[in-house]
Amino acid sequence: MFNTVLFVVFPYVAVIVAVVLGIHRYRTNRFSYSSLSSQFLENRTLFWGSVPWHYGVILILLTHFLAFLFPTLWGNLLSDRIRLYVLEVTGLALALMTVIGIALLILRRLRSPRVFHVTSNADWLLLFVLLLQVALGFWIALVYRWGSGWYVHTAVPWLRSLLVLDPQIQHVTVLPVLVQLHLLLGFVIVLLFPFTRLVHVVTYPITYLWRPLQVVIWNRRPVRKS
Amino acid sequence: MTYQPVHPAARRRWIWALLAGVMALALAAPALLLAAPLEQSAGEGETLFQQKCVACHTIGGGALVGPDLAGVVDRRDGAWLSQWILAPDKMLAANDPIATQLLQESKGVPMPNLALTEPEVAALIAFLANPGAEAVTQPQAPLAEGDAAHGRALFTGASRLENGGPPCMTCHSIAGLGALGGGALGVDLTKAYETYGGDAGLAAFLNTLPTVTMNAVWSSQPLTPAEQDDLRAFMQEASFAERPPQTVWLLALLATVGVALLLLLAQLIWRRRLVSVRKTMVQRARI
Repeated sequence: MFNTVLFVVFPYVAVIVAVVLGIHRYRTNRFSYSSLSSQFLENRTLFWGSVPWHYGVILILLTHFLAFLFPTLWGNLLSDRIRLYVLEVTGLALALMTVIGIALLILRRLRSPRVFHVTSNADWLLLFVLLLQVALGFWIALVYRWGSGWYVHTAVPWLRSLLVLDPQIQHVTVLPVLVQLHLLLGFVIVLLFPFTRLVHVVTYPITYLWRPLQVVIWNRRPVRKS
Repeated sequence: MTYQPVHPAARRRWIWALLAGVMALALAAPALLLAAPLEQSAGEGETLFQQKCVACHTIGGGALVGPDLAGVVDRRDGAWLSQWILAPDKMLAANDPIATQLLQESKGVPMPNLALTEPEVAALIAFLANPGAEAVTQPQAPLAEGDAAHGRALFTGASRLENGGPPCMTCHSIAGLGALGGGALGVDLTKAYETYGGDAGLAAFLNTLPTVTMNAVWSSQPLTPAEQDDLRAFMQEASFAERPPQTVWLLALLATVGVALLLLLAQLIWRRRLVSVRKTMVQRARI
């Protein structure tokens, strides 16, 4: 029964809250859909935090989604040992990079007084949940090999069963506790989406692709450092 | 589009609607679950025995991995027996003296939790108390000779399993794979051939894959008989091979090198990031 609450009720509640409150926030407080960049307040550490974090986490999330959407294709991709090893090592490196990135972002917010000042409680919560989640992901990938393979036969059937409203939790309740924690934290992050600056994940500026051209004219070439 | 502040009353309505929605969902989800068909109801004890137990046990046919179960109902206390079949993992964790002794006798292979319900356990015990005159053992049909090379291909994934199951090395390692070896979610299978009692025991295990973890993956996509034979042959061969080295440290090292390269790449791509227009203007202003 406890597992049912964790792996059925909680994911549904998290998704519904995220969608409904996400729309509500968009309708009532549209300009809060932003990452609230603190780039102007601190720029040097931000680079080493933000760039590794975003490139790492986007690529890793992409593999999670690809394996979820095309399990057979994914299975065929991994059927060669060399491809499996290359993918796993790349994934591990990217995971470690996200851990380093988010850790630096947290340290930056602690150490720079200006950035600390504009950091809300919700921000701290989000940052620590994200750190925990990617650290867990890295650890799972390292210790419970080969996650890229068994993910398709454990978490994916569970997620698909949730999607078609026919929950099958036996696929995940047999997994190690750390893996279960990783799955649940994923939905905690979904739940945090409408309450935090995480909403910026749906604001990728793709309108750049079709907005009118802007002509930018410099009066003078920027002078390079000698 | 202009920004329209929402009237507080409208906002309150929204929040109430949301609250009602979440509550309804929280109440409906367990109901949906209860309405879903329950797992297999209490089956015949004998059918269950053939499905779940013959991999490791006989009744009157001698010990395999686990003990011969002839007369087990007389040997053991009834409550202990049903508790043991229901949750052997918990009893082992609690250091139950009989459980610990059984673990030693079965060469360290723990009795798996078979995910049986209480009615199913009761049906099994009823069958064990009165199994009939003939010994109940694994089907004695002669085992086919497997192709070890093809078994290896199935294990690594070079040949895909017919019903769509994952290659064994997704979760299991085994000697002789080389490089980074196999997975580590499941147990290492190098010694499985010996531990499960050679051809007969391993054949029965591969046929039923009776543990909870294996069941979750394989019940909907079982191994074909030919695949079982090939895998068994490969596992026999592998039991003589060299163990691969420990891979965790190698992997951690590779990941660290990978991160270093990626960060270096970031530095190369964005090396001029700090030379901003503003900075150059500030510099000019200082002169």
